[in-house]
Amino acid sequence: MKKLASATDPLWYKDAIIYELHVRAFADSNGDGIGDFPGLFSRLDYLQNLGVTCIWLLPFFPSPLRDDGYDIANYVDVNPSYGTLNDFKLFLDAAHQRNMQVMIELVINHTSDQHPWFKAARLAPPGSAARDMYVWSNTDRLYKDADIIFTDTEKSNWTWDDTAKAYYWHRFFSHQPDLNFDHPAVMEEVLKTMRFWLDMGVDALRMDAIAYLVERDGTSCENLPETHLAVKRIRAAIDAEYANRLILAEANESPADVLPYFGKGDECHMAFHFPLMPRIYMALRQEDSLPITDIMAQTPAIPDNCQWGLFLRNHDELTLALVTEDERDYMHIAYSNDPRMRVNGGIRRRLAPLLDNNRRRIELLNSLLLSFPGTPILYYGDEIGMGDNIYLGDRNSVRTPMQWNSDRNAGFSRCDPARLYFPVIMDPVYGYQAINVEAQLSDQSSLLHWTRNMIALRKLFQVFGRGTQHFLKPANRKILAYLRDLERSDGSHETVLCVANLSRFAQPVSLDLADRNGAEPVEMLGYVPFPIITEAPYVLTLAPYSFLWLELQPPRARPESSSSTLPAS
Amino acid sequence: MTEDPIPAIAAPSAPPGAGLLVLLAAMTPEPLEHVLASLTAAFPAEDMLIAMQNAPPADSYPSLRIVTAPAANPSWTLTAADFVNAYQLAEMNDSSAILMLGPSSSSLDSAALRDLASAVLTTSIDLAVPFYELPPRAGLVNSAILYPLTRALFASPVRFPLAVHLGLSRRMAQSLASSAHRFTASNQAEMPIWPVNEAMMAGFTVDQFEVGPHVQSQQTGLDLKTILPQVTGALFADIDAKAAFWQRFRPSPPTRHAVSKPTLQTPTVDAAAEIASMVYAFRLAYTNLQEVWSLVLPPSSLLALKRLSAIDSAAFRMSDSLWVRIVYDFLLAYRLRTINRGHLLGALIPLYLAWVASHINITASGTDPESHIEAVAAAFEADKTYLVSRWRWPDRFNP
Repeated sequence: MKKLASATDPLWYKDAIIYELHVRAFADSNGDGIGDFPGLFSRLDYLQNLGVTCIWLLPFFPSPLRDDGYDIANYVDVNPSYGTLNDFKLFLDAAHQRNMQVMIELVINHTSDQHPWFKAARLAPPGSAARDMYVWSNTDRLYKDADIIFTDTEKSNWTWDDTAKAYYWHRFFSHQPDLNFDHPAVMEEVLKTMRFWLDMGVDALRMDAIAYLVERDGTSCENLPETHLAVKRIRAAIDAEYANRLILAEANESPADVLPYFGKGDECHMAFHFPLMPRIYMALRQEDSLPITDIMAQTPAIPDNCQWGLFLRNHDELTLALVTEDERDYMHIAYSNDPRMRVNGGIRRRLAPLLDNNRRRIELLNSLLLSFPGTPILYYGDEIGMGDNIYLGDRNSVRTPMQWNSDRNAGFSRCDPARLYFPVIMDPVYGYQAINVEAQLSDQSSLLHWTRNMIALRKLFQVFGRGTQHFLKPANRKILAYLRDLERSDGSHETVLCVANLSRFAQPVSLDLADRNGAEPVEMLGYVPFPIITEAPYVLTLAPYSFLWLELQPPRARPESSSSTLPAS
Repeated sequence: MTEDPIPAIAAPSAPPGAGLLVLLAAMTPEPLEHVLASLTAAFPAEDMLIAMQNAPPADSYPSLRIVTAPAANPSWTLTAADFVNAYQLAEMNDSSAILMLGPSSSSLDSAALRDLASAVLTTSIDLAVPFYELPPRAGLVNSAILYPLTRALFASPVRFPLAVHLGLSRRMAQSLASSAHRFTASNQAEMPIWPVNEAMMAGFTVDQFEVGPHVQSQQTGLDLKTILPQVTGALFADIDAKAAFWQRFRPSPPTRHAVSKPTLQTPTVDAAAEIASMVYAFRLAYTNLQEVWSLVLPPSSLLALKRLSAIDSAAFRMSDSLWVRIVYDFLLAYRLRTINRGHLLGALIPLYLAWVASHINITASGTDPESHIEAVAAAFEADKTYLVSRWRWPDRFNP
């Protein structure tokens, strides 16, 4: 039976707070050293209290796990290590009861080489329907203009298969053969998979590697018109059969190239803003707002029903695919001096270690994440400042067990520590005995409390998720200043002035706010009224790495001044 | 999916098109007789459809159209189920306005009923709320918490935000039913709904009407320990759900000047003894609940309570500003789930008793009770910034 949508607002994703996690890494209920759905279920209250409104689950399907689950061997089941399909349904219902939506992965560019389709394709005769589920060639020179993505591992996008006596195409690892979207049966299977999960009540689908669905010789095999047709078809099926669902595109492309994935509001509802993220780190290190303002200037307007997905870190490396050579070199020097911190040209570190565990820098970057136009996506563990383990291979450095408390295995599992899927972080700075949820819940000044408060504050103001952004241009480029504005249906405006100091030293700034003459800024965290704006430059001083969110209240609607002390009784 | 505990309503046998739907709480024959007489005196029978549980046989009141309303558990207040039922019945009968008459409706005369109904039938008012005339020491949970909180946060001048008699326009009924449905769908059909808050959020017009004395029904098992956590908890939850609305600045409602009313018969109990027992309860709690209060209240409030605990009952006075901060901090602790919400609201009771003792002492010294309540409400408004700032940044390290 098809379940109704859990969200009532079709644009729910614009106001969402998305939390990305891996079931394997979150909580282990049965002591086998691997996180599972019952474990995740038991931690839903934590996520709700944090303010999360949408949980994004990394792949949890049956898989040989050679690419952390992105090598799927069965699209319509749960990996037994993580529980059963029924466990998933119980988790889904419990999340919905807490007013949280759930996003899962729709990895349709490729399967595992252990998927029954591929096993059958290898044995099937050339030209048969079973064979054509994948992309085969007698030569490895076809599509030679396509980049290799996993440069550290793969030398070619083609691999010879001795059984099939042909090369098969794989844009990622050689054990991940690409599905052939020129074959109609592939789309039918994709739609069948999609319906299986949406019927169950899943709210959102993240479409992995969306840019690579279709290949054509003489092209980069990215963002082809045929790929967009495939995406449109999936979206049309969703719109025809379901309400209030979401597709999030993973297209690691420039904003201009991502734009077509929104279509005219008829492809993806959301897409990640990949190039913003490295430029935020660059701006911070260079103490210069230009990298941010520059990439935002290159960001085109998107259809009204669409939204950017913003993030500081995720389960992959901090990708540098969309920066120049010089910028990449700078980022490597600035953030990953040890070559073990790098993979595939990017940086495989978590947020806190990237920022040298500096609390003010972490807060500053989170303030940008929460106030830029788009929906913020938090990566599990970053809300407590978890560290990474660069001695684990590939991108597993940032996929270690969640640190719940200072007990054995960080409270993640009761198993013998040797049995854990990955060791917990144990170094003196980021180790679980220093960094864990329980400790931070009992510490009112912790990063966890700060993050929770900031999320709650953001949720009070729709302007952050739905408003426009206009950059101010102060002479002091160490200061990033922008206005967020939302015109409500009654004609009133919700306007917020955001000012961030990217420097490690205090900075003055003069802002031209003459067109806001008469408005009264009210600092949003403490509800503190600031001096009224006049036609003269508005002068502020910001402490190192500090930020201000000021709600601009219209001249006649001002709060009375706050009294912070209690009158004598 | 959870089954909706509110069953679909079967179409009544009465002809459709009644302008006014009256939804009447279940009551015994004698008061029912009185209410029906008042209704008959107030409205032409042909324009009115009455719906009630356990409707009397059709031949009992041949001039009236009475239909059976869906069953709802009896409650001392209007519940989510009542609002869902009201809208469904109004839809079914194409009624343009609704008069909801909860428990103790027999204390309202025909003029009061006419005022409430006419406002929503013939003017642009969406929500007509009664202004009850109560004995000085009655309805003090409302006076101490419900009224000042809704007034400060929702800019509503309505003195009785949890009134059990209401006039609703059709769109108001729809809005309330929509909110109430969230509760009925999750098996919380008996939750109180806050019509004034809903109306202010929707930008609807609200007015209140003096309806004379109101005698509350005596129900068993309802004491302060039940009532205060129930209504305060429901209001706190509603405030939490509507935070994005009330935190945007709203103009204050015009101050309602307290009108001197003829003093009603006061209870014949010994007021001094009553105050002494309330102060004793507060002092006892001061000893026993320190640990809980210290999780909720900032140092300045705790210090003020310490001073208060040393004052004898005759001179007992709690400042308005202290009471405001206590309520605001309990509201914040409710939102943050600082402790179990049931325990939290239980810990508010002795503080409320302290306020009541103080209120009685203040009024006994010559201050008009309504003037004092207005002063308390004004203090809530003046200190709203404290709540907003604490709400937004609930750091315990504060004054």
